[in-house]
Formats: sequence, C-alpha cells, structure tokens
Amino acid sequence: MSFFGGLWTIASIELRQRVRGVAWYVLLGVFVLLVLIVTAVALVALSWQDDPGGALYSTVIYFVLLLASLTAPALSGNAINGDRDAGTLATTQITLVSTTQLVLGKWLAAWISSLAFLVAAVPFILFSFALGGVHGATVLGSLGVLLAELAVVSAVGVGLSGLLRRPLFSVVVTYLVVALLSIGTLIAFGLGGLAIRSTQTYESYSVDWEQYPGEVEYDPATGLPVGAECTLVDSGEYEIPRPDLFWPVLSANPYVVMADATATNYDRNGNPVDIFGYIKVGIRSLQIPPELHSVWNECDPAQTDYPTGEETVERTAPSWFVGLAIHLVLGAALLAGAIATTRTPARRLAPGSRIA
Amino acid sequence: MAPAPAAASPAPPDLGIVVEHVARSFGAAKAVRDVSIAVRPGEVTALVGPNGSGKTTLLLMLASLLAPEAGSIRVAGIDPVADPRAVRALIGWMPDTLGSWPNLTVRETLRLTARLYGMPRERARSRATELIELVELTELADRPTRVLSRGQKQRLSLARCLVHDPRVLLLDEPASGLDPGARVRLRQLLRGFAAEGRTVLVSSHVLSELEEMADTAVYLDAGVSVSAERLAAARSSARPWRITALDPAAVAPALAAAGVPAEAVSLDGSSSVVALEGGDAAAARLLAALVGAGLPVVAFAPAVGELEHTFLDLSGGAS
Repeated sequence: MSFFGGLWTIASIELRQRVRGVAWYVLLGVFVLLVLIVTAVALVALSWQDDPGGALYSTVIYFVLLLASLTAPALSGNAINGDRDAGTLATTQITLVSTTQLVLGKWLAAWISSLAFLVAAVPFILFSFALGGVHGATVLGSLGVLLAELAVVSAVGVGLSGLLRRPLFSVVVTYLVVALLSIGTLIAFGLGGLAIRSTQTYESYSVDWEQYPGEVEYDPATGLPVGAECTLVDSGEYEIPRPDLFWPVLSANPYVVMADATATNYDRNGNPVDIFGYIKVGIRSLQIPPELHSVWNECDPAQTDYPTGEETVERTAPSWFVGLAIHLVLGAALLAGAIATTRTPARRLAPGSRIA
Repeated sequence: MAPAPAAASPAPPDLGIVVEHVARSFGAAKAVRDVSIAVRPGEVTALVGPNGSGKTTLLLMLASLLAPEAGSIRVAGIDPVADPRAVRALIGWMPDTLGSWPNLTVRETLRLTARLYGMPRERARSRATELIELVELTELADRPTRVLSRGQKQRLSLARCLVHDPRVLLLDEPASGLDPGARVRLRQLLRGFAAEGRTVLVSSHVLSELEEMADTAVYLDAGVSVSAERLAAARSSARPWRITALDPAAVAPALAAAGVPAEAVSLDGSSSVVALEGGDAAAARLLAALVGAGLPVVAFAPAVGELEHTFLDLSGGAS
C-alpha cells in the first residue's frame, strides 16, 4: 500500500460518510441561496461602476471564505475524537494504515468538503467574469489564498480533534481559533491602536483676509490674492492613535491576507476596482506613520494633495506572506500534534479517554 | 493441521502469544497489574475474568493499540510495541465496542477495510463478498451499517477482523448479542480456525458458550493472571452436581445411604444439587453407588460448567 493510496482510502471513507448526510446538501443549498441574494444586492449597489465584474467576483470569493471558514470547524473539528467516540478509530488503527496517513487523510477529506462551497459558487464566479473587469492575476491570487486558508482551517479542526478528547470541545476551540484570526486580530488592532497614543502638534497658517479689503487680484491657480502671505492662526496639541504601530496584527487576518496577496487593478484615478483592492489600500495606509508635527498652510497647495490608493500601495510593504506563513505553521503544528497523540501503541492517554 | 503441543511446554514462538509480567494503568487505576499468560496456536483459548479484571486492556495491548508500562509481549514472536505494523498484519482484533461507519454499506465497509490492509482493488472487492457470505449478511450487504441490529453489527465486526485472513485472532466478547444459531456458527468458525493452526483468544462472559468452544482457559482476577496452583485449587474445590431421578423423593435417602452428608444436598425444583469434593473421581463413585442402590437416575451432571465453576470460585462467589 503506497503512502498516498492509504491516505486516499481514509479520505474516501470520510467523504462517503459525509456526502451521504442530508444535512450537507441542505447546507450547500442555503449557501447558494445566500450567494444569490448577495449577488443581487451587490449588482444594485455596484450599478454605478463601468465593469462591476471585479467587485462582484471579490464579493463572492469573500463570501465563500466566510461561509467555508464558518462551517469547516464543524466538519473537521470532530474528525478524530468523534471516531474514537463512535468506536471506529481503533478498528482503523488496527489496519496497516499509519497514524500519519490516518490524520492527513482526514485533513484532506475536510479540505475537499470545505471546497464544496467554492464549487457551489462557480456559477456566480462565471457570472462575474461575464460582467467584465475580472483580471486573471486577481483570480489566481485570490483562489490560491482561498485554497490555502481553507486548508489551514481544516488542519486546525482535524489537529485539535486529535489533541482534545471531547468532540464538542474541539469543535468550539476550532471556532475560537477561526474567530481569533478573523475578529480577534481586528479587536487587538483597534484596542492597541487606541491604547498607544502620541501627541501631535499642529500649526495652521492662513491668509489674513482683513489685509486684503475690496478689489484684489486673485491668482487663478491657488484662488488666493496675488502675493498673499499666510500667517500663523492656530496651533495646539492632539492625542492621536497610532495604527502604524499595530498594523502587523492585522496581517494575521485571513481576509487581509487575501486582499494583500491579490494583484490589484486601479481605475483612471488610481482607485482600486474591487473589494480586495479597497481593503488592501486601507490596510497599507495604516503602515504610514502620522506626522507628529503637522503643518497646514493655505498658501502651500501641495500639502493638501493626498496619495491615491495606487500610490499608497506602492509606498508600503506587502505583509500577506507573513500572515499566510503564520497560518500554515499553525495548521501544520496542530496536525503534527494530532499525529503524535493519536499514535499507537499508545503510551499516555488523556484522563478519562478510551483507546477503543 | 496443528501439531498438538505438549501440555506443559511454553507456547512455541511461531504463532503463539507469550505475555510476561505485563502491567498497565490508566491514571491511578491499575487495569492490568501483573499478567503472564501463554496462548498456543491450534487451540481456542478462553480469557476469563470478572468485570474490570483487565481482559479488554490486555487484548488492547496484544492488538498493538496500547503500550504496556512493564513486562513484555510477543505475538508470533514479534513485539507489538517495537513493530506494531508486523503484528497488525498477523492479527485480527474484534473489539467489545461495536463501531461502524454509519453511512457506509456493509460491502463498502469490508471492501475499504481490505484496502486499508493494502489489498488490490479487485481482491478487496471479492474478499468483501466472501466475508459477507461467511457471516450471512448477504441480504443487508448494500444497506448502510446504521440499520444493522446489534447481532448483525457483531457479525460485521467479526467479518472486519477477518478481512486480511489473520493468523492470530483476538476476540473481545464476540458472542454477545448473537442469537443461538449465530453462536453455534461462531463456535464452528473458531473451532475451524484453531484446527487450521491459528491462534484464537476469546474473552466472554457467556461462560457456558466458552465452555463448548475453548480447549483451554486463562483467568484474570483484578488485573493479575491466576497461577496454575490457584487454578488447580479452585478446580478441585467442592463442585455442585445436579442429580435428577424418576422418583425425586427417592434421591435424598439414596444419597444418605451413599454417605453424602445432608447439609451438602439442596433441592432445586425436581432435582437435587450435591456439593461434591474430590473432583470427577468422587462424582463417578457417587453415581455408581446411586445406580447400584437401584436409584432410577435420569441425569447426573455438573450444575455449572468447568469454566464457570473456576470463575465463580476465583471471584469468591458461590463455591
């Protein structure tokens, strides 16, 4: 028996077990209905865009990631301890499959079943292609990250189901890990950015209009009187949050990883054309530290020129590979832990657990 | 055909099981404290002991699922801790829990189990069909296993442990849940395996069933294997015999005339139960005396089987 032959036999047993449940098809049906609603709403919301395909595509992909990461823990989080409770783990371990094949086979099955959501979303993805404006590089990047992130969630679920004894507990902990990455990173970023504040001093220079009574000659470029001089009119201090110190926390967020890893296309004004792009620009702009001494001068028009999204992205560093690496290491470590604790002949058993 | 091993010799290393001073605890609970047994090939060996005596734990260790904390195990000469894969290729283990993949059919369960043993696709398919016929699940072959009754699951479990034609069988309570007909067939099957020279170790609470099936027995009590001396003592202790005669009223005087003290006799329905010391020889003498005295004896038999008697004596129950 080859390594992959045994692994695939385990995976096919898992998949057969799952695919024959009615609940599974109900879930997929609900998912398709939700994507249909989201697509309809998105089409109305995006009607002002020339090529709404990109925006719709990114919406559907985010929705697949959301739904799959919300259901994958329930599908994978009891893979090993659930079998132990059902009395089918020991009868599998007594055969010639190794523990590595057993755990990885279960992981593969969990991954494949989470990809069912992507398959169910294919009609909507094709529809977004038909609308135009979806770029090949965007599709490659986002699908790659989607596959990787679902593999990670499945690995976390299967890993924890091997490490923890009770199925309910491991499913809940898997949900907590997903929540920690998806929502916890946002909360940590928000709290951290608010807790650490800096004092910003500001000075405002403005034209003293009282010096220019009546008819004066205006400079057409600035809209100010010719030869006008600006004087200090206001100064003071602010407490400002420092998101630039905490943005790395967000790089562990799977939605941020997807946005940051996906190639972005921009319109004429340098604005991104899809949701991935908007989130990417938003995240990247957090990297730019605020000016602790801010000067506003009405007579210096260059200062009011904000960078476009495209410029922001070009000036800042990508972080998706760091976040993705963290996720992959987490998933791999939990799988390795599950293999180590499930190995037989068992030397140590968790309190209260049975081998069969 | 198995060569008959000399009764006193240790198990030959080829296919037998040798367990020496094995111990295993779960946290504070010492499930197995000191077990030394030898199981010979070519025989059906009963593993007997009260609840909690460590039978299932011992079988888990023999099946390479649990590592002993002390002592050594050899299954067909192989250490299951050092080389579990080699042991697994040889043994068939039937657990006392009846787990099955609920959404898979009986046929798929057996076919995929065969695949897990590395059998080629076609061979796995035909092996599943053979086993379905062997355990008489033909009508249910293509139904999901969740619809099976307890006895049917038990037969599926037996078929699953036979998938790779194992040389050593470890069966934990195989007869529970089986109807009488299925029990008879199980007994014939296991006797057949033993006759082919395989090693068969069976644990059961149905001692009368084991009695007919097993050639020999090993006893566990509170995680300790019972020594040969203790076994001999238990076997020769007073054992009840049941005597039925055409005329029930004539039994008591005839027993008194044969020298049996009145306190050793009790009435059970229309038959009398006599506690006899001195084993089978004493029983034979008593029967001869009763028949010689003209008592019309219809039945004269041990009230409990050999295993049950030994079991009850060891566990401190009725003697």
